[in-house]
Amino acid sequence: MRKAVTGLRAWLVQRVSAVYMLLVIVFFLLHFVIDPPHSYPAWHAWMMNPSVSVISGVFFAALLAHAWVGLRDVIMDYIHPVAVRVCAFALLGVGLAATGIWIMQILWMEHGSVI
Amino acid sequence: MHFSIFRYNPEQDEKPYMQDFHVDLESTDRMLLDVILRIKAQDDSLTIRKSCREGVCGSDAININGRNGLACITPVRELKEPVELRPLPSFPVIRDLVVDMTQFFKQYHSIKPYLINNEPAPEKERLQSPQDRDKLDGLYECILCACCTSQCPSSWWNPDKFVGPAGLLQAYRFISDSRDRATQERLDDLNDPYRLFRCRTIMNCTEVCPKGLVPSRAIEKIRLMMVKHSL
Repeated sequence: MRKAVTGLRAWLVQRVSAVYMLLVIVFFLLHFVIDPPHSYPAWHAWMMNPSVSVISGVFFAALLAHAWVGLRDVIMDYIHPVAVRVCAFALLGVGLAATGIWIMQILWMEHGSVI
Repeated sequence: MHFSIFRYNPEQDEKPYMQDFHVDLESTDRMLLDVILRIKAQDDSLTIRKSCREGVCGSDAININGRNGLACITPVRELKEPVELRPLPSFPVIRDLVVDMTQFFKQYHSIKPYLINNEPAPEKERLQSPQDRDKLDGLYECILCACCTSQCPSSWWNPDKFVGPAGLLQAYRFISDSRDRATQERLDDLNDPYRLFRCRTIMNCTEVCPKGLVPSRAIEKIRLMMVKHSL
């Protein structure tokens, strides 16, 4: 079971998150080309739209998962001494978790300000 | 024609060095191996592995101007001078251009490179339809020269844990064989962060294969089979 988590599943997470992020980036770019918001409040309102909020929320979750697999691979490739590797994994985990909390805080606060 | 050849005799030399040679080509010299043998006639201490001299045995895989290939099927006149010859990158050097391939074959044996089928053997042979036989094309031709694995960065960093492109191509050769019954076991064995998933699709393997095979496609197909089997 543990094997599946770290082998095939990690690879799938990386591929699926990449495709999702690509689609979202295209969607955002198209939106800004076809129907660009004219002011900050207009852009803010669009971002606060529930479906756009869900799309961007999942986007950041995908970004963190993608970064985890990619950086985990870099560490597994180049860092071989066990102690250093454990430190690198811990650092990476803390860094990604902090980034995740920060993103959630921003999204959450913006939603709070609208209500 | 000018050559710069990697020399190292661990019994005499403190460290490896490059030695220059000059050879006047004769009209019969077509492949690089012909010229290396001419150099060896000048200096018989130069050590190289070779056997069939026609690209079938895979013994004379070396690094030619930075790119792995078989000396016996590399047209010598097309090479840029001075031609730099080195042993296969990342493999331990035994002497001059001869490397130790123990690790490479250990990885090859780890994928169980033989048919596994415990069903009672038929009277004559296990038959295969022409369509099933076609699935082995592009896989069975591998001669295990190690050009691909030696040029693969993922193999450089984890040669003991990553099977490498040659081993994975062979693994797929048996996974896709209709007579083999151990497909699931083979996929389970490779479903590991190191054995298969160190591959980062760099594709040096495909770039250098002297037989024109595509290990990266075999690796991709193993991954897709794993996805199908896990659903």
